[in-house]
Amino acid sequence: MSGILVLAETRRGELRPVTLELVTAALALKDAAGGRVVLAVVGDEPAALVGALAAPGVDEILTVAAPTPHFEAHGAQQALEALIEAERPDLVLLGHTIDSMGFGPAVAARLGLGFASDVTRVSWDGGPIATRGAYGGKLVAELEFPDRERTLLMLRAGAYDPAEVGGAAPATRAVDVAFEAPPTEHVEFREVAAGDVDITKADFLVSIGRGIEDKDNIAQFEDLAEKLGATLSASRPLVDAGWMSNARQVGQSGKTVQPKVYLALGISGAVQHLAGMQKADTIIAVNTDPDAPIFGVAHYGAVADLFDVAEALEQHFA
Amino acid sequence: MARDPKYDVLFEPIRIGPKTLKNRFYQVPHCIGAGSEKPGMQAYHRAMKAEGGWGACCTEYCSIHPESDDTSRVSARIWDEGDVRNLAAMTERLHHYGALAGIELWYGGPHAPCMESRATPRGPSQIPSDFEINIHPRYADKDDILELQKMYVDAAIRARDAGFDIVYVYGAHAYLPFQFLSPYYNKRSDEYGGSFENRARFWRETLIAVREAVGDDCAIASRFAVDHLFGPVSIEVGEDGARFVEYCDDLVDLWDFTVGDIAEWGQNAGPSRFFEENHEKPYTGQIKAGNHTNKPVVGVGRITNPDTMVAIINSGQFDIIGAARPSISDPFLPRKIEEGRPDDIRECIGCNQCISRWEIGGPPMVCTQNATAGEEYRRGWHPEKFSRAANAEKGVLVVGAGPAGMECAMVLGKREMSAVHLVEAGKEIGGCVNWISQLGHSDGKENLFRGTARGLGEWARIKNYRQIQLDKLRNVEVHLNSRLSAQDVLEYGAEIVIIATGCSFATDGLNPATHEPIPGADTTLDWQLTPEEVVSGTKTIGERVLVLENEGYFMGATIAQKLAGQGKQVHLVTQAGDIAGYMEYTLEAPMLHRDLHRLGVDIHTHTMLERVEPGACHAYNVWDTGHKDVFEIDTVVLCTQRISDDALYREVKADKARLEQEGIEAVYVIGDASAPRMIVDSVFDGHRLAREIDSPNPAMPLPFIRERRLWGDSSNDDFEGQLQSTPDVLPLSQLGEGIPA
Amino acid sequence: MKIVVAVKAVAALDEEVELVDGDTAVDPDGLEWDLNEWDTFSLEEALNLRDAAGDGEVVAVTVGDEEAQDSLLACLAKGADRGVRVWDDALAGADPLAVARVVAAAIEREQPDLVLCGVQSSDAVNGATGVAIAAHLGLPHVAVVKGLQHDAGVATVERELEGGLVEVLRVRLPALLTIQTGINEPRYATLRAIKQARDKPLDELDLGDLDLDEATVSAAAGARVRRLRHPEKGEGAQMLDGSPAEVAARIADIVKERLSG
Repeated sequence: MSGILVLAETRRGELRPVTLELVTAALALKDAAGGRVVLAVVGDEPAALVGALAAPGVDEILTVAAPTPHFEAHGAQQALEALIEAERPDLVLLGHTIDSMGFGPAVAARLGLGFASDVTRVSWDGGPIATRGAYGGKLVAELEFPDRERTLLMLRAGAYDPAEVGGAAPATRAVDVAFEAPPTEHVEFREVAAGDVDITKADFLVSIGRGIEDKDNIAQFEDLAEKLGATLSASRPLVDAGWMSNARQVGQSGKTVQPKVYLALGISGAVQHLAGMQKADTIIAVNTDPDAPIFGVAHYGAVADLFDVAEALEQHFA
Repeated sequence: MARDPKYDVLFEPIRIGPKTLKNRFYQVPHCIGAGSEKPGMQAYHRAMKAEGGWGACCTEYCSIHPESDDTSRVSARIWDEGDVRNLAAMTERLHHYGALAGIELWYGGPHAPCMESRATPRGPSQIPSDFEINIHPRYADKDDILELQKMYVDAAIRARDAGFDIVYVYGAHAYLPFQFLSPYYNKRSDEYGGSFENRARFWRETLIAVREAVGDDCAIASRFAVDHLFGPVSIEVGEDGARFVEYCDDLVDLWDFTVGDIAEWGQNAGPSRFFEENHEKPYTGQIKAGNHTNKPVVGVGRITNPDTMVAIINSGQFDIIGAARPSISDPFLPRKIEEGRPDDIRECIGCNQCISRWEIGGPPMVCTQNATAGEEYRRGWHPEKFSRAANAEKGVLVVGAGPAGMECAMVLGKREMSAVHLVEAGKEIGGCVNWISQLGHSDGKENLFRGTARGLGEWARIKNYRQIQLDKLRNVEVHLNSRLSAQDVLEYGAEIVIIATGCSFATDGLNPATHEPIPGADTTLDWQLTPEEVVSGTKTIGERVLVLENEGYFMGATIAQKLAGQGKQVHLVTQAGDIAGYMEYTLEAPMLHRDLHRLGVDIHTHTMLERVEPGACHAYNVWDTGHKDVFEIDTVVLCTQRISDDALYREVKADKARLEQEGIEAVYVIGDASAPRMIVDSVFDGHRLAREIDSPNPAMPLPFIRERRLWGDSSNDDFEGQLQSTPDVLPLSQLGEGIPA
Repeated sequence: MKIVVAVKAVAALDEEVELVDGDTAVDPDGLEWDLNEWDTFSLEEALNLRDAAGDGEVVAVTVGDEEAQDSLLACLAKGADRGVRVWDDALAGADPLAVARVVAAAIEREQPDLVLCGVQSSDAVNGATGVAIAAHLGLPHVAVVKGLQHDAGVATVERELEGGLVEVLRVRLPALLTIQTGINEPRYATLRAIKQARDKPLDELDLGDLDLDEATVSAAAGARVRRLRHPEKGEGAQMLDGSPAEVAARIADIVKERLSG
C-alpha cells in the first residue's frame, strides 16, 4: 500500500473525539502522501461505530474484533501490528492519549518505525515532517524520519479540528487478528471522588479576573464553573482583595497550572499571571479590551462582555 | 534579559523645570528616621534607590527653621551650614547614580511641638493642633509672614547649595502653606484670609519668592493635598483643590499630589488592610482628568505593580509614578523592570511597619519585605548584593519555613552556601503568614470614612516573594510535609543547624499584665479558642464572643473584626488604655475603630479577666480591682501573649557531646522560636543571621555604626562660635583651678 | 525483590537560549539539569515496595552524560541501592526509541522483577520511552499508573484515564509500569544521605559494555531533529466573532472537544 492508516480510539463502546481529529490530519496529507486513507477501529463491536466514522475522503474502514470487551494495551498492540503488516501504510496516526501511550511506542519500537508523539502538526516533504514542543514547550521542534519505510505519529488531542461526518459510509471490511492471551486482567472502572480544591489537578479551569468588577459577582462564576464541570480559579487582584482564597490563585506567586482547558474571563494577562497558565493545552480568553495581553497567549479569544458570554455559556452545559 | 516593550513608557525622560527626570520612577518624600543628623543613613538609604534606578529621590520633610521641630519624630533639617554639609552627602551619592535629589521644605506650625528647640511655632490663626497635645501657634501677623517666607527662601538657597535639584514648598499633610489655604485652619480677616485668593496668597507668594531665589537652578515642586477629606469645611478637590492647582500652575515645575492630612495620614499612606493599590486615584486623578494643570504630576497610592504603573501613565492619571513604600520594599524595582525580570520585584505589603517606627519617634526605619531598609549604612547591607560566605562549604539545615526561616534560607542561598535544606513540617512554606493573611476582613461594607476592611491578602507576598527566590536558588532545597524530631535533626548531616519553628498563642491565658495564667482559661476546651483556631475553623463559635487582647498589636482586634463581620456579638477586652495600641503607629487605628464601631463591637479598655467559666467571663477594672463585671458569653478567644515553640531547639542543643559526635558545629534559633515578635522582626532576625553566618560568633550580632557625636571631635571645638554668643558656662579648657575632691 | 527504575536528568532552559549546530540543538550552557519530576515518584514507589518486602534492591538506571550524574546521585541519596549510567557520544540527541533500546540492554543485565519508569519527562514530554523499553524487553506493561499494590508476584494497578476515570487491572510480574505523578509522596534526602550517596556503587557503561554500537542505536532511532525554533510570539488568538451567544456556543464546542480528546 502506501497511504495513511488512522487508528480510531474508543472507550467503553464510544468513539473518542480525537479519532475524527486524526482523520482531518490524514485527509490534509492525503494528496502529498499519495495513496489511500484507511481508518481502523478495534473494539468489542467495532461495526457499530462505522457510521460515526463516515467522513468524506476516507477510503476504507477496517474493523477488528477485540478479544476483550475493554481496551487492553497488548491486544491493541497486536491488532495494530497486524494491520500495519497487512496494509503497509507509509504513515500511521494515533492520538496521543492515555490508551495509545500504552501501546503506540511499543509498536514503533518492535517494528522499527519512525516515531514521534505529542505531535501538534504534520506536514509532508518527501515523507512526514512532525512538529512538536521541545524543552517543556519553550522551543518548537520539527522532526524528520529518514531511512524509515513507515512512521507512526501520535497526535495531540485538540491539535486538529474534527472531520465532518456524513454521507455514505465508505467500504468496510473486517480483519481477523490472531490475539495471544492478554497478560493483564481488567478488574473494574472507577470514578474518582473530588477532594479539596487543588487547581493544579484540574483538567478544566474557569479563571476570573478584575473584569468581574465586584465581589458580589463571584457567585455567578461559581455557578458557571459548577455547571461546566470546571474548577474556579482567579488572578491575583481578586486574591489580594480578599475575594478569593490564595489556593485558587493562578500566577507566578500562586499556582502554576497546565489544564486541558483554561477559560480566562476578565483577565488581562499581566506577565505574572501568564507565567502561571501559558502552558495550558487550550486557552480561551474573553475580555472587553482588544489589547489585553492575554490574547497573545490564548488559542481562542473573544472581545465580548464576559457576563453575557458566561450567561450564554451556561445554556450549553446541563 | 531585555525589558518588555510594554514598560517602555516608564523609562521615557520628562522635563521638570530646568531639570530632566530620566524616567518615571520617583521616590516621593518619606520619613526614614535619618534626618540631617544621621547623614550616613540618609545618604545610603536614598542612594540605594538611585542605584536601583529611581529617577529622583527626596528627603523626608525637611525643617526650614528651629520653629519647625517635630521631635521626637525625626525630620530632616536645613537650618545651617552643618546641615548643608550633611545633606550634601545625600545629594552627592544620588548624583553618582544619576538620580535627581529632592528636598521637601517644611514648616509645621502648631503640628510641630518644638520639643527640642523650645521655639514657638507660628500659624495663620491661633488654633491648637488637632492632634498634638496642647500646642498653640502664635498668630502670624504680616511681619511674621515675611519672616516665614524668608525662612523658605533661605532654606531654598541652602538646599541649592547642598546640591538639591528639586526644591519643594510643602503644603500637604496640612502643614503651613496648607494651613493658610484651608478655612479649617485660617480664620483671618486680612488679605491672607477669607476669600480663595486671600487664603492662597501665602502659598503663592512663597512659591514666587522661592522660584525667584533658586528657580533657575532647581525645579520648584509643591506637594499639595488636593482634598483634605474634611468635606466643605476645608479643601475639596472639586472646589478649592482644583482651583488652587490652576491658580499656582504657572509657579510650579512639578506637582506632587496627596490627600488628607497628618492627623490621619493613613488615608494617604493607606495600609493594605483598608486600601487597594492606586487608592488615591478618585481624588488625585481628577486634576489631570479635569485639565486643571499643564505641568507634570507625580502621585502615589502604594503602586507596586508595573502594569498598573503603565496604565496610570497611559491613561493620563499621572505623568510620573510616585512611591514611598514600594521604593522601600524594593529599591531596585525600576532596574528589575528594565532588566526584564519583573517577577523578582519584592512588593510592598502595605503593613506600614516602616511608618510605625517614625510615628513612635526615633527608631530607624524597618521594612517587613526588605530587611536591609535602614541598614544600608549602619550595617553595610545591600538588598541585591550578598557576599559569598567564608564558610560556604558547611551544610545548613533550617527547620521551619516561616518568615524567619524563609528569609534565612534565602539569604544563605544568595551567599552561595553549598547546601541549604529548608525543611518545613507543613504542606507549604510561609508559616504564620499563611493563616494571618486570611484575616482582616469584616463584613465587606465600606466604612463611613473611606476604607473597607479588605483583608491582609497582600501580606501573603511575604511568602510569595521568598517562594520565587527560593525556587531560583539551586543550592537551596525546600522540603515540605517533613516534621523533624530532635533525632532527625541531629542525624541530618548538617554542620549548621538553624531552628525557626515559630511560636503559638498561650492556651491558658498567660499574659503580660498578671504574668500568670487566668483561672479557667483553657483553649483545649471546645468553647475557648486561640487565634489560629479561629482561622482554621475547627471549632464552632457561638453568638456571643469575648476576645481578650493583651498583645497590643493587631491580632485581638482583627479577630474581633472577623467575628463581628459574621454577625456575632463581640466584646473586645484589653487591660491597656486602648485596643491594638501599636496600630496607632501603623496608621490603621482610625479605620479599624470605625469598622469595629460600625459593627457594634463592645470595647472594654483598662479591663482584665479574673476568671473564665462556661458562659461567663469575670472581669475587673485595672484601676479599681473591686469594680467587677461579668460578661455572659458563649465563646472566648484568647490573644494574651505568644510562647516560643522552642522544644526542638532545647532538645537539639542539650547534649553537647552528641552535637560534636554528629559534626554539628553550631545550633541557632531565630524568629518567633527565639522570642515571639512582629513579622518584620522575624524576617530581620533570619536575615541578620544569614548575613553574619561566617562571623566569629554568628549568634551575637556584629556592631552597627551609631551615627553620634564623639566627645573631643575637633568639629565641636568652637563652643562660642557654635553658640554665636558668649556662654556663661565654660568648657574645661577655659576653667581655672579645679575643686579638690 | 529487585526493581529497576529508569530515570532521566531533564534540562530546564534559561530564558535566553541559543540554538547551535544549524539550529538542531541548544547551546548546553543554557541548560540546567534536574532529576525528572516523574522519576521521583517512580523511585519512591520502588523504595516503598523494597521496604515493604523487607529486602530487595532498587537500581536506578539512566542514559546521560556527566550532567546526569547528579540526578543519579540524587536517586542514590533518596535510597536507591545502586546506580547505572550509560553514555556514549553517539547517544547525543537520541530520541525515545534509541534511548529505549539502550536502557533495555542495561536493564536486561539486571533481570529485575519489576521495572518502573515515569510516564514522561518534563523536558521532552514524549511519554514513550517506558513502553518502548518494555517492548524491547518483551515485558507486559501498563502505562500511566497512579496506584499500585503488589502481592506475591501480581501487581494490581490503577490506570489514570482522562476525565477523572480510573481503570483497575492486574498484571503478573515481571512487568514494566510507567508511573504518574501524585501516586505517592516522594521522600527527601538528608544532607547525610546526599554525602553517603557518593559511596554507593555507580557503574558507568558505554555502548560496548552493552554489546551495542552506533549502528544499532541508529537503527533503533525513531526520529531526527530537522530544526529547532523559537515559538512565534504574538501568533495571537484565533478570534471568535459574533454575539455573546454565538461566542458562547463556539466556546462550548471547543471546551467539549478538548476535554474528551
